Amino acid sequence: MHMDKRDRPLNLLVYVFVLLMVTVSISPFVYVIITALKSPEQIYNPDQIWPSYITFANFASVLFQSRFMIYFWNSVEIAVITTAICLVLSIMAAYGLTRYRILGAGQIKLSVLFTRMFPGILLSIPYYIIMQRLKLIDSHLGLIIMYCSFTLPFAIWNICAFFKQIPWELEEAAFIDGCSRVQAFFRIILPVAKPGVFVTALFTFLSCWDEFMYSLIFINSPDKKTIQVGMRDFVGQYSTDWGLLMSAVVLSLIPVILFFMVVQKKLVTGLSAGAVKG
Amino acid sequence: MKNQTTAPFLERLNFRKNWPGYALLAPAVLAVIALSIYPLLNGIQLSFKHYHIVRQSDSNFNTFSGLANYVKIFTDKNFLLSLSNTAVWTIANLTVQLLLAMLLALALNRNIRGRSIFRTLSLVPWAVPASVAASTFSFLFHPNVGIVNILAVKMGLMDSGVSWLGNVGSAMVCVTIVAIWKGIPFQMIFILAALQGIPEDVYEGAVIDGSNRWNTFWRITLPIIKQPLAIATILNLIGILTSFNIIWLMTEGGPLYSTEIIYTYAYREAFINHNFGTASAASVVLFLIMAVFSVVYLKMVSDDEEE
Repeated sequence: MHMDKRDRPLNLLVYVFVLLMVTVSISPFVYVIITALKSPEQIYNPDQIWPSYITFANFASVLFQSRFMIYFWNSVEIAVITTAICLVLSIMAAYGLTRYRILGAGQIKLSVLFTRMFPGILLSIPYYIIMQRLKLIDSHLGLIIMYCSFTLPFAIWNICAFFKQIPWELEEAAFIDGCSRVQAFFRIILPVAKPGVFVTALFTFLSCWDEFMYSLIFINSPDKKTIQVGMRDFVGQYSTDWGLLMSAVVLSLIPVILFFMVVQKKLVTGLSAGAVKG
Repeated sequence: MKNQTTAPFLERLNFRKNWPGYALLAPAVLAVIALSIYPLLNGIQLSFKHYHIVRQSDSNFNTFSGLANYVKIFTDKNFLLSLSNTAVWTIANLTVQLLLAMLLALALNRNIRGRSIFRTLSLVPWAVPASVAASTFSFLFHPNVGIVNILAVKMGLMDSGVSWLGNVGSAMVCVTIVAIWKGIPFQMIFILAALQGIPEDVYEGAVIDGSNRWNTFWRITLPIIKQPLAIATILNLIGILTSFNIIWLMTEGGPLYSTEIIYTYAYREAFINHNFGTASAASVVLFLIMAVFSVVYLKMVSDDEEE
């Protein structure tokens, strides 16, 4: 917006407000990082809010003396497989919906979106009975199947939104050049659709990474836990090792930070394209 | 008349030409039916059954119970408390988030210095997983080692640390603060995206008319962003109604059920008390509340599609 002189006091107010909000947004994590770098004595010492020395002992013990890395890789495995399944299914579905005349295409898309609004707790109860029957309690495959229940509707809806914006004349042109439909798709369309597919993949990965409840309910074996549940190991019934927990928190945020760095610029448009514009 | 419309209709569908489309769509649709719609119907059915997991040998296990589960939860004072807690939780979260998100979006839509870095940093709470946020704030509110207490004692506001999450009076306020902290950026992103879509010349007209900022906001800005704002608000509302992680990890619905919402009540019934029947009934109640908002949301999205 354009500026004029009467804006000055307002601009100052706006600046103070934004600074305040940003400080509130990030300060908890600044404190988390500081705590992760403290020794246990420092954490319990009010005079060491700002530590006089730092230690990496917490990180070392989380990485090398706990099951943290097992949990980390469990979560990576589950999130990657779920994302791959969702991408394949949703790209196929979106291509079908966009390039063919499907009876009730609009209703199908809205119904899929509607399933995303089902509360997880309502699904988790019948899932428990179903998974028991399928012998998939305490298995990663079971979790992957359940994770698809909330990631797939999102992926279908999002990929459809991105496919709508593709200049499909490119495909027609490829047909004229003698490409088959499959060839045209992989050589021409997929490269064009890559940014949208990529953003969808990242969001899908992250929602698996963040998931807590299903993992809490369905995984019992210590070595099969996912990262969000596994991190609770550091929370004891009577006392919690805050230094270890905060180090684990910092390490668990690594994929989140990477994700943020990659999509930061596209976030505002990318996120709202799927949910608002349709 | 009827024949005249059906013939071209079938022709238009042209199954011979469009069958690959259906084939491509089928796996995803079948997956959604198997993963969401079937369990949903199953869950609704369970809410009308005797289904106490640890009493599988009971003669009435897995039999039709009529409305017994619903009667049971609606006469349970903890469930009634969870209903009112859900209302308080939802209204507090939604109004504060909406207000702060709107102000922040308006601020970040201005040409202030360092705008893009502020924009990124203000998204941090949204990017952080809810379970991580819960652990973090449990630490900040901790009676002995939490910074909230340390600072309050240092500044002489209190003599000794207070268990913020352990007191009936303060627990709900604390979990709500965390949820608000976490929820603002999501709402803000949508408002900001909508604001950025408003062309400059719309405002120029208002400047010429001599209308002040307050009027410009209510008469011009708000009507333009109304639709995306409403959609984002409903999505946010659904997220608030289902936010299990923050409450469960910080207070487990306690102390004395003071932070119990419908979602945590259903979880407790199912996986701690092992009564799948009453848990499903509570979940169905939650689903019905959410369905009202979901339908409004779908209506708005489909109107948006047709434009």
